[in-house]
Amino acid sequence: MTQDGDLLHVVTADNISVARRRAGQALIWGSAGIMALVALSQVLQTTGTRDFGFETWRPTLYAYAFWSACLCAGQVITRGEQGKRVLFVLPAALFVLSMVVFPLIFGLGIAFSSWNLSSPDGRQFNGLDNIRQMWADPFYWNALRNMVWYVLAILPEYAVAFGLALLLNAQIRARKFFRVAFLMPLMLSPVAVSWMVGKSMMEVRFGPLARLARALGWDNPSFFGSPEIARATIMLMDAWTFIPFMMIMILAGLQAIPKELQEAARVDGASAWRSFWEVTFPLMLPVSITAILIRVIFKLKLADIIINVTSGGPGGATDSVTSFIFREYRDRSNVGYGTLLAMVYLVIIVIAMTVLMKLADRWMRPRY
Amino acid sequence: MKVEIYNHMIRNGLSRRGILKGAASVGALATLGGVATGLSAGRALAQDNLRAEILKVPGVGQGSPGDSDWQKVGEMCLGPTKEVVAEGEFAGVELTFMGLNNQNLHNFLFRGFLKPWEAYTGAKINWIDLAQADYNARLQQSIATGTVDFDIIEMGAPFEGDVLGKGLASEMPDWVKTQIDMDDYVGYLKAPVGTWDGKTYRISIDGDCHTFCYRKDYYENAEFAEAWAAAGNTTEWAPPKTWAEVQAQSKFLAGKTDPLTGLEAHGFLDPLKGWGGFGFYFLEDRATAYAKHPNDPAWLFDPDTMKPRVNNPAFVQAIQDVMDLIATPGAYPADQINADPGTTAFSQFLAGSGGMLAWWGDVGSSARTSDTSVVGDVVGFSTLPGSEKVWNAASGAWDETPNEAPNMAYIGWGVYVMARVDGDEKRHKAAWSAAAHLGGKDIALWMSAYPSGFQPYRNSQFQYDEWEAAGYDRAFIEDYLGSNADSYNHVNAAIEPRIPGIFQYYSVAEDELAKGFAGQYAGAQETADAIAAAWEKITDQIGRDSQIALYKASLGM
Repeated sequence: MTQDGDLLHVVTADNISVARRRAGQALIWGSAGIMALVALSQVLQTTGTRDFGFETWRPTLYAYAFWSACLCAGQVITRGEQGKRVLFVLPAALFVLSMVVFPLIFGLGIAFSSWNLSSPDGRQFNGLDNIRQMWADPFYWNALRNMVWYVLAILPEYAVAFGLALLLNAQIRARKFFRVAFLMPLMLSPVAVSWMVGKSMMEVRFGPLARLARALGWDNPSFFGSPEIARATIMLMDAWTFIPFMMIMILAGLQAIPKELQEAARVDGASAWRSFWEVTFPLMLPVSITAILIRVIFKLKLADIIINVTSGGPGGATDSVTSFIFREYRDRSNVGYGTLLAMVYLVIIVIAMTVLMKLADRWMRPRY
Repeated sequence: MKVEIYNHMIRNGLSRRGILKGAASVGALATLGGVATGLSAGRALAQDNLRAEILKVPGVGQGSPGDSDWQKVGEMCLGPTKEVVAEGEFAGVELTFMGLNNQNLHNFLFRGFLKPWEAYTGAKINWIDLAQADYNARLQQSIATGTVDFDIIEMGAPFEGDVLGKGLASEMPDWVKTQIDMDDYVGYLKAPVGTWDGKTYRISIDGDCHTFCYRKDYYENAEFAEAWAAAGNTTEWAPPKTWAEVQAQSKFLAGKTDPLTGLEAHGFLDPLKGWGGFGFYFLEDRATAYAKHPNDPAWLFDPDTMKPRVNNPAFVQAIQDVMDLIATPGAYPADQINADPGTTAFSQFLAGSGGMLAWWGDVGSSARTSDTSVVGDVVGFSTLPGSEKVWNAASGAWDETPNEAPNMAYIGWGVYVMARVDGDEKRHKAAWSAAAHLGGKDIALWMSAYPSGFQPYRNSQFQYDEWEAAGYDRAFIEDYLGSNADSYNHVNAAIEPRIPGIFQYYSVAEDELAKGFAGQYAGAQETADAIAAAWEKITDQIGRDSQIALYKASLGM
């Protein structure tokens, strides 16, 4: 056994011969060469330059799987124990590469193509045309504008959720019952919410909410008649579903706050408001920011309620980016443009979330 | 027949006496058959006998038919197959059939019908069952990625552009045309529908069109009649014959009280919200009489240039009419801007809101069959209203002649054989034989008389005596089928373009109409122009030249 090197972490130090190392290298590079050859053949086949009898891209997939196996084996052959350690991560990394990175690259390829499934010409690379189309597409910008409103609605949702969490954290009767009852909307599928609430309870003639509105003096209740009311109704339905989610996170945070802090504040003579604002709220900031960030992510995906209840109407007032992409992609088979819209949205989301998290990080630093 | 109609008949329409009466008539027919002599008369009677016999499976009023009944009917209707296929002729052939699983019918029904066919011919069928919502995407992806993995497909005519236009389907052999008796098809299902470049591809199994439903009690109401006359109207207070009358009556009814429900009365119910492309059919309903000239088969696009006609004065008139009603307080129920066709039909008209509606054939009868309907006894049917004038695209001017053009919305389901069987003689014959079995004349009668999800599509299905003999209430059946038959056989029926991506055009039109109806465009013309501009983009993306060629091919030009 060797006396050099990292003796603390190495169990067995391999004496790897040059020949073994070379064999390992040959395995890795040989299989990589085979993969490159198969992929090249496939490209030539696809472009129609040569015919290798490849009907699908499966040969390349098999070559990739073969190379992956050889790469893993090669690590052990060339590096011994160090290679075995790599095996804990390498297969997962290769899997992620194949399931996330490659599709993303293909997705980008599609996003810069004109690909209408009904077109006899199939997919055609069209450069930046889709971006130009997006730039001039009033439907997309309208949907993005709506998303700003939808996301802003999270602030009042947060306030309500905080209030409910405080209530449930207090010593009230039937606390456990209310905790479960308040969670119920979250357990419902948004599609069920759309039909039960949006289509049935808000039905203008017979729906119980319409009847209630009439009883309260609204002669001709209309929940989706004007753009503003329709948008507000969608926001309310979405809020009703997801406020419990924020509430339960905040409640968990509240329960983690040591009671002594509140008691100390009370002993110091702080009013209820001051003990909330100066003690509870700052302590809850990390949980609150997390809850809001997750809620923003949920909100950016808002589509199901809109698709089912308003189809984006009236006149696009309730359209979300996802519901618009759904129509563009599913109803109009416009795969290229739909993919580009989704990609741009992804970039916008990544940037916005990064900025938001940076800001959140700054806000959450203790204010001493 | 649609399931709900059948259930209604069973619940309300049939007494034991009625059924016995029906059985007795069938028996009498059979007796007559025994007396008659002569080969042709004997064969005709045997045919009648078969039709009467299959209608007894399981028997009207004997509960919903199931797999054993479907197999039995399939077995009884094997005659035409046996004339062209020898027993065991397709041994070793495996075919794949792609279709829908709506309401546990469609493919489930076909499985039962084809089981005896499989047993007789020796072929085996594998099934791909799809939900309606997945159908379009699955089909489009199969086509786009070149992975057509089925030999026979159940498909709606609007997709013919995508499939037939790309040469993916197999041309129908002549023996199939004879076997299924294509001359029996209702008018609009005859060529050019089902054909492409003069070649026939489609075996019809269903018919579809929009008809007009109205509330009879509105027109029997003396107060309305008096108020109508008092308002200075010179025409009679009667079901409208033209869209201009529909407009006038809808405006008149705003603010009145519904005689049946005591709530607000309304006139024509336009769906103002999209419905995945299907909502555009309802604007077409208003437009076809103005836009479909009897001398011109095209009405949505110019076949030489694919220039949209959706912004011509005919369509602008239709859009303007809707906008006028939006601007008339009380003309529509509240929230109409958020009403899709499902809402107008099932939540409004059947629930007693509104006096007039355009829909597929089944909603009128659902008026009598649905548990939630309150208008069952007061609903009447007709073909879609006509117009006083029609736009002549050739001259670019209105022809001041009355016109009618029922809208054959969606055209109906058919069975198609894919071109991938063409290379193998045995598979080719087997696939066409299976498809022909499903599209047979006698099996069609059974499908229209029992729950199948399909509407009648043959003239022979409108022989009311057969229905009566089987035990159905004749008045109901005539009511239910009459307006359909008149629309199907109308000489100026408006048939939608069977070009690739037709639902893309409809879908984007819905989006633009929604903006127009919400007041985001200056008016009807600007809305129509926005639709036309969007349609031009789709045409350019799919390929203008190929669209022109395919449109002409679909029109038989």
